[in-house]
Amino acid sequence: MVGQLASRRAAGVILEMIKDGHIAGRAVLIAGQPGTGKTAIAMGIAQSLGPDTPFTALAGSEIFSLEMSKTEALSQAFRKAIGVRIKEETEIIEGEVVEIQIDRPATGTGAKVGKLTLKTTEMETIYDLGNKMIDSLSKEKVQAGDVITIDKATGKISKLGRSFTRARDYDAMGAQTQFVQCPEGELQKRKEVVHTVSLHEIDVINSRTQGFLALFSGDTGEIKSEVREQINAKVCEWREEGKAEIIPGVLFIDEVHMLDMECFSFLNRALESDLSPVLIMATNRGITRIRGTNYQSPHGIPIDLLDRLLIIATSPYTEKETRQILKIRCEEEDVELSEEAHTVLTRIGMETSLRYAIQLISTAGLVCRKRKGTEVQVEDIKRVYSLFLDEARSSQYMKEYQDSFLFNETQNAPMDTS
Amino acid sequence: MDAVSQRVMKYLTEVEEGAEDILTAKQQIVDLDTRRNRNREALNALKTGMSDSEKVKVCFGNMFIKFPKSMTRQMIQRDQEQLEKEINNIREGLKAKVSCLNEMQGQPELRGYNLSPLSSDEIKAMNILLKR
Repeated sequence: MVGQLASRRAAGVILEMIKDGHIAGRAVLIAGQPGTGKTAIAMGIAQSLGPDTPFTALAGSEIFSLEMSKTEALSQAFRKAIGVRIKEETEIIEGEVVEIQIDRPATGTGAKVGKLTLKTTEMETIYDLGNKMIDSLSKEKVQAGDVITIDKATGKISKLGRSFTRARDYDAMGAQTQFVQCPEGELQKRKEVVHTVSLHEIDVINSRTQGFLALFSGDTGEIKSEVREQINAKVCEWREEGKAEIIPGVLFIDEVHMLDMECFSFLNRALESDLSPVLIMATNRGITRIRGTNYQSPHGIPIDLLDRLLIIATSPYTEKETRQILKIRCEEEDVELSEEAHTVLTRIGMETSLRYAIQLISTAGLVCRKRKGTEVQVEDIKRVYSLFLDEARSSQYMKEYQDSFLFNETQNAPMDTS
Repeated sequence: MDAVSQRVMKYLTEVEEGAEDILTAKQQIVDLDTRRNRNREALNALKTGMSDSEKVKVCFGNMFIKFPKSMTRQMIQRDQEQLEKEINNIREGLKAKVSCLNEMQGQPELRGYNLSPLSSDEIKAMNILLKR
């Protein structure tokens, strides 16, 4: 990342606090002009948190939908950002099958008995088999040379693959045959797996009207508050028994000024609950009307919520930073830029907007390729600059020619209704 | 040796010792499991075949002793319980050793492994989620 030193340092402090689990239930606002890297900072925080901390991003306008109320969408987002860590523990027997010996009774019916020899790199042992185990072994088509695991509690057998040492037993073999190493260490192992699931996922599974199929359809609809309460209670019980850890994640709401008054009061309330993630919001508005009211407020956020926030400000990039960002962008898009073109582009970036300059990179790259050049020259930039308008020139154009546009309202004198 | 290299030396020795400790514990588990499996084989062998009143030959060190069958079985079962306990103890200790080594090497600690496991019923309920 380039520039924004102060705000990045602030974000770093917040990141450390999130990692230590200190600021659950707090909120951060990233405020700044358009194109000053607010979203980039939030994405950076998400990246540094690693895959273990849940991170949910949504845009302010995403919560307005016909299927779901605004607060439902928000509380789902909140619960997606809270992870629950649980541990699964199983005793398994894992080894390579050396030999299976099954004695069938002479009469054809009756109990079968058998012996199964398993080995690891360190040891080898013989198990006596009962009728049930023999059945499941033959159902899984286990042969000598397979590497298998047996779940001790349930007796379930699963095949992991064939041992490498037996790789040349047959020439004709399906492509799906997997070769694995002979397991190491003891035969009877304890397998511990730690899972992280989000509260929302548990909600969906337990929401009775939907059943577990809802997870796959993607459309979950509304979840009853009783279901949520039950799950909260269960998770808290697990936490007290030492069976679960709660990981407050991060919920990032971009364009937060798109939320209306109801949402803001919901946020206020939700931040106070004991299961609450870190809320990061971003906005590019100054003092503006709060959506759904006629009141003006800084960032379009009510003062009472604003009071709870840690605010990080981003400032416009300097010329040097702009230059560097454009350079990184060029490398990303595989566009070679000549030195003069780079300077021109930086000027454009400073005078219009950084986003516009970035748009020009790829278009200039295309123009350059059309004339079979290898490096984007000033002429290419000039050409695309004349072809595509930036925001300022576009509005200038509007002002000049607005009479000839359709539905233009600014010039019309108020209709005489008397 | 100057102070810096001495400190490095000390640190490296500590790391090596920690690693060696873990390897020893692992090997110990393997050895104990070998014994456990051998005992299990013996118990299976005692179950089938001859009648209860017969005596069996038991190998102690380098000597075979004829021993009543029921007493042999009890002896092995007691040994088996002892082994189970020991293996569990070593496994618990292993976790502490691994996180200690991780800390010394500046690696992030494994999170969540010190939780107590969910019961099988609870896992069954969560399985729909876990087997994504």
